[in-house]
Amino acid sequence: MSATGTCEYQPKDYKSDLKPIWCPGCGDFSVVQGIYRALAAIGRPPHEIAFVSGIGCSSRIPGYTTAYGFNSVHGRALPIAQGIKMANPDLTVLAAGGDGDGFSIGGGHIAHLIRRNMDITYIVMDNQIYGLTKGQLSPTSQKGRVTCTSRYGSMEEPVNPLLYVLAYGAGFVAQASPTDLAGMAATIEEAIRYPGFAFVNVQSPCVTYGEEAQQIKGLKSISESLASMGHNPADRLAAMDLAQQYGQKMHLGVFYRNPEPPPTYGDLVKERQALLSKDAQPKERILDLFIKK
Amino acid sequence: MAIQGIDFANLSLKDALDLAILVEDEAQERYEEFAAQMDQHRTPEAAKFFRYMVENEAKHGRELLARRIKLFGDAPRSVTRAMIFDIEAPDYDAARAFMTPRNAMKAALASEVKAHDFFVSALPALKDADVRALFEELRDEEVEHQDLVKKELAKLPPDSGLSDEDFVDEPAAQ
Repeated sequence: MSATGTCEYQPKDYKSDLKPIWCPGCGDFSVVQGIYRALAAIGRPPHEIAFVSGIGCSSRIPGYTTAYGFNSVHGRALPIAQGIKMANPDLTVLAAGGDGDGFSIGGGHIAHLIRRNMDITYIVMDNQIYGLTKGQLSPTSQKGRVTCTSRYGSMEEPVNPLLYVLAYGAGFVAQASPTDLAGMAATIEEAIRYPGFAFVNVQSPCVTYGEEAQQIKGLKSISESLASMGHNPADRLAAMDLAQQYGQKMHLGVFYRNPEPPPTYGDLVKERQALLSKDAQPKERILDLFIKK
Repeated sequence: MAIQGIDFANLSLKDALDLAILVEDEAQERYEEFAAQMDQHRTPEAAKFFRYMVENEAKHGRELLARRIKLFGDAPRSVTRAMIFDIEAPDYDAARAFMTPRNAMKAALASEVKAHDFFVSALPALKDADVRALFEELRDEEVEHQDLVKKELAKLPPDSGLSDEDFVDEPAAQ
């Protein structure tokens, strides 16, 4: 309890009793710590937070977090998160998953969440591989990548998650990495605080199937803080320009934050409800709306 | 290793002791996590060593806490865990499934070196004489901890030449 009588939360308050079964050394251990720290900084009690995921190694993360959680269906974290937010707009809603979950099977959902601008934070743990199913090509795997499903090297260009969400008009786009836990916690916190859809791409190495260059040491060698570069996060075009370096450089921090966030879908729904409520029929007369007068 | 929002120049002895306790807490928790990870991945010898480190960090934490209570009682703490990141705790990527006790010990040794470097790098900014004395003491203790781990390393039989990676599954087509 703080001096003002409000409850203060520590990162450990968001840690669940389940023990993570990720491979030791996995980047996701740092990501979950970053999430605990961000949630503690936000200070909402666990019962006011809903955390939804799809399927994959990283999608186990709601189980390791003390909050309402749903480890849902492959690629369907975002529709479920949207349903939760609509049903209970007061909840802080987070969605998480891997790059395969988000940009392959679930790729079609992101555009619609962005255009609706629902107040949901989406954290993608991007390891450029399908780890849980033992190392197949994922949508963000580099061209030429040799895996068990691409023995002679991938012939496809990778999806660029940052450019993808920027192009659809996401209001908050950032990137983080376990190479900088403090920065990751701060970035996730900022994403949660943004009033609208927020996207955080976390480059989280897969120690079992990931390539050497994508491990912590390799990522550190290509990382650069956007703040130290003097990047203006209000400049969407500059953000898109920097996002094109995905795969060659790892820029950390906020790429884009809309300086004038538009109303969220929830705001518009409330507005519409207020507008229509004056002519609203009582429940027992609702069918009268369909009777021609 | 990272710090956030610590004003070393104006650090009080109470805050410095609290910070040192938090550093030990973080390390203790990380070793507990590593031990649990090793249990999950059937690596009992590394788990045993990480539990030994849990005890060491806890013991040091308790000693610091006793000093803090003796000097300042239950005065509220003004430093938080959010200010420190991986000071004495081994980095998450230091753990590996099936890691040998030798590699577990090397990870711990690297962490003790990291903690030593933290206290050394903070010293020039400190202005309070008592805080400086505490940090010098903690710095020297980290050297003692390094010696402790080195002694454990010396007890090990010669390396088998096998790597942790030799026991990890190869990617398999589904």
